[in-house]
Amino acid sequence: MNELISTLKQEIIEVLNLEGMTPDGIDDNAPLFNGGDPSVAGLGLDSIDALELIVLMERNYGIKLKNASEGKEIFKSVATMADYISKNRTK
Amino acid sequence: MKIYVKAFVSISDKEVRVNGKSLPIREEAEKPWLANIYYSLGFQYPKFFKMDNLCKAGFIASELLMGQLGLTPEEPKRNWSVALMSHSGSLDDDKTYQQTIQSADNYFPSPAVFVYTLSNIVTGEIAIRHKIMGESTCYVTKSFEPKTAIALSECAFLPEKEVDNQIFGWCEYLDGQLSVKMFALSLDGEGALREWETSVFTI
Repeated sequence: MNELISTLKQEIIEVLNLEGMTPDGIDDNAPLFNGGDPSVAGLGLDSIDALELIVLMERNYGIKLKNASEGKEIFKSVATMADYISKNRTK
Repeated sequence: MKIYVKAFVSISDKEVRVNGKSLPIREEAEKPWLANIYYSLGFQYPKFFKMDNLCKAGFIASELLMGQLGLTPEEPKRNWSVALMSHSGSLDDDKTYQQTIQSADNYFPSPAVFVYTLSNIVTGEIAIRHKIMGESTCYVTKSFEPKTAIALSECAFLPEKEVDNQIFGWCEYLDGQLSVKMFALSLDGEGALREWETSVFTI
């Protein structure tokens, strides 16, 4: 799982152009989205970033989200995303 | 109608000039030119790295213009508008997006690339960044022809639009070729560099 988390962090940095950020700088459990509230720690991603993460999961892990409402739980953090990928990946 | 130039910026593949004066840019070989400008001039706007190159160029030029006028991004600018001309518009990003849907076997349309596939996103990004409340327009034209440019800029100053100041200029990026000429225009001549007329286009 740790290897997957590490790979996923690198992929997120690349696909979302998070300039200046390193995998070590992303907390496994920090929220990916803060709802526009800068007082909430995390990556502060937006709705376009969410779409990119969906594409990333499909392209790199063969996972197609069937239900959009699942996304809220899956994309809580890198750890929840990695957990979902490990259980549902087809490649 | 008397229009004045308060500040002007030009950016090419090799140089950044503000009011005619060249700025020192530290070039790191592994970074793209626009990123080198961003870091050299000490900008702080993480969204910059999500933008396409047209928007990056427009962002840098508008930051420099507003900086010359002593205006902060946070200050709402109700009597400002932004209008740019471009030959290629968003074509550079359109091509990048097309690559993401080129192959049926590798068909993953990128949302982050798609959102920049409109020429007027660059003026929108500038308006958002600087809280510009007036008109936001991008004209796709063959060149930055002075008489056309002046006529288009005058449109934004029509009385019913209640605009006194305007970012206006040329913003072009395609296949690594960059050309930006951007002006801060005003109906107020105080502190102006010169009048807005065809001779300005040679500076």
